[in-house]
Amino acid sequence: MRRNVAFWTRFTWETAGVCAAITGVLAVVSILKTDRLDFSLLASVVPYFLCFSAVFSIMMVNTGAQTLYVPLLLAMGETRRNVLLGFQYYRTLIIAVTVGVCALVWLLVPGELSRTGLRSIPTLLFGLLITSAAGSLLGTLTVKWKWAGTVLVVLMCGVAGGFIGFVSAGDLNLAADTVQMVSYLTVLPWWLVMAALALFAADILFQWLLLRRREVKL
Amino acid sequence: MSLICENIVKTYSGKEVLRQVSLELQPGKIYGLIGRNGAGKTTLLSILTAQNPATQGTVSLDGQPVWENRASLKQLCFSRELNANAESGLASMKAKEYLRIAATYYEGWDKDLEKRLIQLFALDVKKKMGKLSKGMLSMITIIVALCAKAPYTFLDEPVAGLDVVAREQFYRLLLEEYAATGRTFLISTHIIEEAADVLEDVIILHEGKILVTGNTQAFVDSACHVSGRAEEVDAAVAGLETHYPETIGRSKGVTVFLKPGQSIDGSRDVSIQPVNLQRAFVALCGEEARHEA
Repeated sequence: MRRNVAFWTRFTWETAGVCAAITGVLAVVSILKTDRLDFSLLASVVPYFLCFSAVFSIMMVNTGAQTLYVPLLLAMGETRRNVLLGFQYYRTLIIAVTVGVCALVWLLVPGELSRTGLRSIPTLLFGLLITSAAGSLLGTLTVKWKWAGTVLVVLMCGVAGGFIGFVSAGDLNLAADTVQMVSYLTVLPWWLVMAALALFAADILFQWLLLRRREVKL
Repeated sequence: MSLICENIVKTYSGKEVLRQVSLELQPGKIYGLIGRNGAGKTTLLSILTAQNPATQGTVSLDGQPVWENRASLKQLCFSRELNANAESGLASMKAKEYLRIAATYYEGWDKDLEKRLIQLFALDVKKKMGKLSKGMLSMITIIVALCAKAPYTFLDEPVAGLDVVAREQFYRLLLEEYAATGRTFLISTHIIEEAADVLEDVIILHEGKILVTGNTQAFVDSACHVSGRAEEVDAAVAGLETHYPETIGRSKGVTVFLKPGQSIDGSRDVSIQPVNLQRAFVALCGEEARHEA
């Protein structure tokens, strides 16, 4: 189990690196779009960029994990049970790190946006859980029906690209628009909780059903 | 500590790929697994190492099941033939990343040996797997198998794509490792004659069934090629197990497999020649292909 934890911990940091890189791009784009740079405002907004990056990265990485890393670990002599547990450990760690960093930044940077951010943590937490479950379900789907997975991945990349394009090309007022957008996140709707739990349960069930009979092909 | 599989059956879409395969691998031997394409070699190796589930049957190591048993799996290493084409996710992975994951999971990983082998094969591990040639991917397969130090190590076509010098290097390294550690190796290969000298025991798999298992030299010694006039050959081999008859005019040649106590009638006017492992294998498994041709 120690080696399994070592692998998935490293895998988490690699995913975190991807998140950090996308966050950096979004931060640079927003700096370029701002007439007067307000570091305090930017610092309060960056955690939201981080969450968006995490949503995209976790989706993509989870898909890749199911299609490549799961068979690779089985080929290295890991048990199916440990692969499943290791993946849950990674999932918990990356979500905890993302939310933890966001909370830390909002605690350190005073302001209305930070207070809103702190109140939106439960919503972000369940949102990331949905993302994580959807990503690995997408990976499971890709393993079984490659064409369907590929179509969904292309759609997802399109949505992410569209968002970045919207942020960079639109006539956004960083402060006002961000406050407007994130105000919805301060309330955790019951259906989001239910959706997250249902997707999470479905993900574990499908992962295990696939993993149980999975054949290694590299 | 033997690895035993009993009555292994594997079916894909109703077609039996392995049929009631039973096998015992003893420690401290180099086994060769030979069979034609599609005989079920990779499937068998995958099942022996719990990488693929069997439809029926059991695999155990030292009396303990291998399936979902990390303690048993730690004793096994199946270094697969790598196929890093554009379809495979491996194509975008760097070779050093693949080796790093192997080093993480195999407890006995020999870092010094890894460095030595990378140098010996002049392998550029910074390259992505998709950019490596078939031979270079085989080198990675060999590095994983040798550095993992698992007591039972399985290699699937380890010399595929390797040039003759690299193949010689591989057999030398294998024998060095075997002499130093006494590990058990099971090597699946198509390049039979080159490997014959290092294979202590041979397992011949044909159409999902094991035809032969036992000492390589004893198997080769039990076979011979008998040729001469057709009626003389027929009389000399009457009652014996014969394969792969070849007739040209009134002459005939046939490969004979002798059981203990059997012999060829020496009073007949026939020529008896020894055969090598490859020839014996072709005689056993190549008959149908010749008929089809």
